[in-house]
Amino acid sequence: MQFAESSSRLTRRAVLGAIGALSVAGAAACSAPGPAASSGGAAVSTPTAVSTSIGTKPVTLKLYDGQGLKAVDDALIAAFTKKYPNVTVTPTYDPDNVTTQNQPRQLASATPPDLIRVISVTAGTKNNLLTNLDAYATAYGWDQLPASQLAQFRAKSGVAGSGSLFAKASGFTMTGLYYNKKLAQQVGMTAPPASVTDLTALLSKAKAAGLTGMVVANKEGGGVFPYQLLLNTSMGPEKVSQWVFNAPGATIATGESVAAAKQVDEWSKAGYFPPAVNALDATAADALFASKKGLFFPWGNWDAANLDKTMPEQVGFIPMPPMTAGGKVAAMSDAATAFGIPSKSPNKDAAAAFLNFLSSDEARQIAVDNGFMPSGLSTQAAPTIKAGSVLNDVTKAFSTVSADAGQVPFVQNATAGISNQAWNPESQLLLAGKSTPEQFVANVQAKYEDELKR
Amino acid sequence: MSTVDGLTAPVDVADEVASASRRRLVRRRAGGGATRSALGRKARWAGWLFALPALVMYAVFELYPIITAVQYSFFDWDGVSVATPAGLKNYTRVFTEPQLLASIIHSFILIIFFTFLPVLLALVVASIVREIKSKALGATARTMMFLPQIIPGAASAIAWTWMYSPNGAVNQMLGAVGLASLQRAWLGDFTWALPAVGIIGTWLATGLCTLLLMAGIGKIDTSLYEAASLDGANRIQQFRAITLPGLRQEIGVCITITIIAALASFDVVFMSTQGGPGYSTQVPGVQVYQLAFTENRIGQSSALAVVLSIIVLAVILPIQRFFREK
Repeated sequence: MQFAESSSRLTRRAVLGAIGALSVAGAAACSAPGPAASSGGAAVSTPTAVSTSIGTKPVTLKLYDGQGLKAVDDALIAAFTKKYPNVTVTPTYDPDNVTTQNQPRQLASATPPDLIRVISVTAGTKNNLLTNLDAYATAYGWDQLPASQLAQFRAKSGVAGSGSLFAKASGFTMTGLYYNKKLAQQVGMTAPPASVTDLTALLSKAKAAGLTGMVVANKEGGGVFPYQLLLNTSMGPEKVSQWVFNAPGATIATGESVAAAKQVDEWSKAGYFPPAVNALDATAADALFASKKGLFFPWGNWDAANLDKTMPEQVGFIPMPPMTAGGKVAAMSDAATAFGIPSKSPNKDAAAAFLNFLSSDEARQIAVDNGFMPSGLSTQAAPTIKAGSVLNDVTKAFSTVSADAGQVPFVQNATAGISNQAWNPESQLLLAGKSTPEQFVANVQAKYEDELKR
Repeated sequence: MSTVDGLTAPVDVADEVASASRRRLVRRRAGGGATRSALGRKARWAGWLFALPALVMYAVFELYPIITAVQYSFFDWDGVSVATPAGLKNYTRVFTEPQLLASIIHSFILIIFFTFLPVLLALVVASIVREIKSKALGATARTMMFLPQIIPGAASAIAWTWMYSPNGAVNQMLGAVGLASLQRAWLGDFTWALPAVGIIGTWLATGLCTLLLMAGIGKIDTSLYEAASLDGANRIQQFRAITLPGLRQEIGVCITITIIAALASFDVVFMSTQGGPGYSTQVPGVQVYQLAFTENRIGQSSALAVVLSIIVLAVILPIQRFFREK
């Protein structure tokens, strides 16, 4: 019985210890975590005396980005430092999925990088951690760039989409429909479908021919792609953008949004998606499309190089057709990297010169070489693309979408947690037929409001 | 437990293993207590000095984070800007948000796969391996059983993801034996994803349990088995009357470790399903991570972590008691 006795003594001691720990915690709880409310942050983050000259003294810029952007960033750095020999850029890359977690901490650090990947403009401005670039924009003339190329990086009183500029893109992503040229011929697609109805007809023909109409991989949320591609034109780029930018009162619990979800639901129930859609990840989707059994593949520019390799000259790319024939087209398209300058950076002028360089002819070519859409003016020289590459189609689609002012940010980026906590699980439920289009839209909106504390 | 290691936290498993064997030693040399306590009094302060480096590490990397987590759980904080007090709001949300509550239930379901199955399997395997007379064969069997334990959970989750994929090994095997009708996308199936994830845990935990139980069986006096077989007891009777009672402590350790692994599971779920499809494999461990590092809701994440710790303690303490009492 000795064990029983000592064990009860131990339990008592553990309880006493726990109470002790809790009371210490209680004492600690008197002071809130986080820094004391800082004053003068706004002054540091909004410089007025700016210079477009970076002088001749040696400057070292620290750059922070995701590993996936290393190739394009390294090329940009090499070209930039060649042009400005007194500047050295030391890049740090984190694995892409880790940047979301580390970036806010990098940005808030006492010695932040000089150029940082901006994931959320609103989060960066809320605490005055990002430099307001308006003075630089005026000095360098960035205001002449197409408005849709900068809108995503503007913010005013905590809402993105308009206001002061906080970042500039090294290039853009582009989304739409890849298609297998041979299979398209087989189902009688001679011209891109003019409307969603035409597209559905093609999907049905593909199904009849024993093909997968649309290669969707929804283990990690690829199922949101067809939905948003439809949403962009059903609700309009502006309203979708406002939702992503957390504009006050923005909602996707609308009839147009339900209509987009209904279309996805119909396609899903008609068997146009792969049967194991919720178990497929991006790699599996690539493999399925490469097996030449899939007609369409709603995906983005990042896969172009891979498709050139696995299916050379066999793949085309079109923007998602509008809901009704003759309507404007739109696509999810955001920055390859939106570079911003942390407020605490001591080398703002040099960092701004790098941002300016991002829309130079040289940088545009680098962006295209790495599979991104170039930022800059339409009057600038068009970058050259290898003949036969599907990227030709992608850039063409990007021009069409830009002309229609249809650049829309990804709905997955509306809040930090919305992708993991709402879009992925809710789209899995929708594609499994376990929720209705109405529930799908309502649940995402509820999560959105919960996270934004509305 | 003896008074000397009174510092031990009740769920400190490594120590539990050590003291289980120590207890046997103490029992064997009954009457040695007097000399021990005399020595102990003198060396008490010197002992603390030796323990100091470890205590400092424990305080800085264990106690301090726990205390701050408790503190954060009463705030609304994004990890960067000024926190605002939230009272008990974060806690009420843990119990009112259906998804957070469901994730706790999932972790209890995982106990079946992380604990019951491995311990049962390990008991069977350990009693069979005990009978293997060849030393080399026994060693091989032990090594084979323990292999899953040396592979990181995250890595094995990836390997299992491939095996569970629509064209993966599991479906291929089902097809080969004529069970093609059972083929499915295991990790994408709302009904089967949680059991499929659980099986990964079974595979991981069985080796550890087997090894612990084999070590325990090795300490059981073989003359007991001889005597029993002379009395005509068959294998099953021997197992019930000798092996099972002899392994009481080790089974307790196995159950403790694996239940903690089930309730606080993270790596296997995170790498294989991220909680999907839908919310069907969401567990508190993954929620804590996502809340803190994806959503930047440090307070909410800490509250869930504190609740999770309390649940683990509430489950483990009675189990510890049960296996300790004679």
